[in-house]
Amino acid sequence: MTAPVDSPVKTVEKRPSSPERAFSYGPMAYLRRYGAVGLVAVNLTVFFILWELFANAEIVNPLFLPAPSAMFAEMFQELGPEGLLRVNIPISARTFAVGMGAAALIGIPVGLLMGASKVVDSLISPYVWAMASLPRVALMPLLILILGFTQTARLTLVFLSAVFPIVINCMAGVKTVDTSLVRAGQVFGANKAQLYRRVIFPFTLPFIIAGLQQGMTRGLVGLVIAEIFGGNNGLGYLTKRAAETFNSPLLYAVLLILVIFSLSFVQIIKWIEIKVAPWRSYGR
Amino acid sequence: MSAGTEDVVGRRGGGDGDVVIAASGLRVGYRKLREKVELVVLEDIDLEIRRGEFIAIVGPSGCGKTTFINVVAGLVEPWAGTMEIDGRPVDGPGPDRAMVFQDYALMPWRTVEANVAFGLEFQRNGPPAAEAKQRVDRYIEMVGLKGFEASFPHELSGGMKQRVGIARALVCEPEILLADEPFGAVDAMTREGMQAELERIIATTGQTVVMITHSIDEAITLADRIVVISHRPGRIREVLDVDIERPRADQDVKADPEYVRLREHIWGMLKAEAFGASDLQEVEA
Repeated sequence: MTAPVDSPVKTVEKRPSSPERAFSYGPMAYLRRYGAVGLVAVNLTVFFILWELFANAEIVNPLFLPAPSAMFAEMFQELGPEGLLRVNIPISARTFAVGMGAAALIGIPVGLLMGASKVVDSLISPYVWAMASLPRVALMPLLILILGFTQTARLTLVFLSAVFPIVINCMAGVKTVDTSLVRAGQVFGANKAQLYRRVIFPFTLPFIIAGLQQGMTRGLVGLVIAEIFGGNNGLGYLTKRAAETFNSPLLYAVLLILVIFSLSFVQIIKWIEIKVAPWRSYGR
Repeated sequence: MSAGTEDVVGRRGGGDGDVVIAASGLRVGYRKLREKVELVVLEDIDLEIRRGEFIAIVGPSGCGKTTFINVVAGLVEPWAGTMEIDGRPVDGPGPDRAMVFQDYALMPWRTVEANVAFGLEFQRNGPPAAEAKQRVDRYIEMVGLKGFEASFPHELSGGMKQRVGIARALVCEPEILLADEPFGAVDAMTREGMQAELERIIATTGQTVVMITHSIDEAITLADRIVVISHRPGRIREVLDVDIERPRADQDVKADPEYVRLREHIWGMLKAEAFGASDLQEVEA
């Protein structure tokens, strides 16, 4: 209290980074504490060596289970210039990014609005729930009928797959807002806009993040399905084509890339959650 | 607002200041839409609270204690009668009143410092940033949380959380401090410590305090006057002066004959009310 004051009060919201907090979340915390990278490297190496030995023994038809060496060789070749992966990864990435981006851009405000307004909620929630319960991949034939075998059709499916989990999570976030926090905001003089900005929205943030995570998982499903049924390019299409040409090393390579994609998303979202909602690691 | 508070400490216990909170003929209720019924929670409440007084409100669950404090806070409008503060009818919340909540109601995404600063953020004529920061620091120190400014609520114990809640209310330097069962969620040991702390803090800051409590001991320990409310519809059964020397909280006040007398008297009144009131708990929600 006697220290000189040189920073405005706004800076108090900044969170000092504490090593404890960074380690306190998720399965990665365990690994990080015990020499994460090394452990993962050893684990994966052993896994691939065993797989290699097993595949080389040809107990299983190599068409069903190629050796990882063959898979990696194929992967690196196709990642090279003019390679199939080099061409198709950006195509899928773009479809996914645009579809997801649109889903977030529309899903978050719509969900928040549904949570905040009874009128909006009762108007559109029947449709949201209907669409949310429909397996969205069933819409692909309809999308092809309307939009043809186009990238638009594919990113529409990504959008439709991702948007409803986002909407529903955001809505749930606003609806479950702790009423005593709202009461506190009111007592200390917050008006309606301030209540939303300083109390309800921050409370909802973890729900938004959870929605984005679910949306991404569903969106990825939508992407692959759309490309398998409605495309002539993209990673989903590549799985189909690799299978049809009996190129199982390529098929496995694509699957591995999809796994890496998906895991990266999950990790990124987790990282964001630790950054913006550190209190979530407690009590939920 | 108009009168200074510098000599309030001297008046404490005497309660001869001017009237700050005046409820007259207050009638408050809720409409239950689903069952299409109206519930009258408070009826015929006449109460004058003087500047610098510490008022404790006790009564069975569902008697409308929380509703009363909500009316003072400006969150609930009375159906009939008036609630005036400094001679003006209450019209919504204001910076002259702040509240401490039973469940702390701290923002989990804010540090201790930012939670305390929350009390000042919405004031139209609040202090400038530098002064606000100073005030936040001062009250954090006053409640004994120096060194925990950067901690998050989930890293604190219940007692510490409520210290944050108290600092957040005091940082507004309100004329009236409302406390809705402030120590209802902390363990018994912590509770006694917190009572002593609150008595000490209020002795220096001089607020008018309206505190709801379930604990008769807490009421006698802290209050200048105790308002006993009967159960639904809540009416004032009795207003009792507590004529025991301060500070009370850290002394062996429980052996004081006046303490014992008051305790038995209030308990006798509440005993009849307490049983059979459990079905009305929903009303307070």
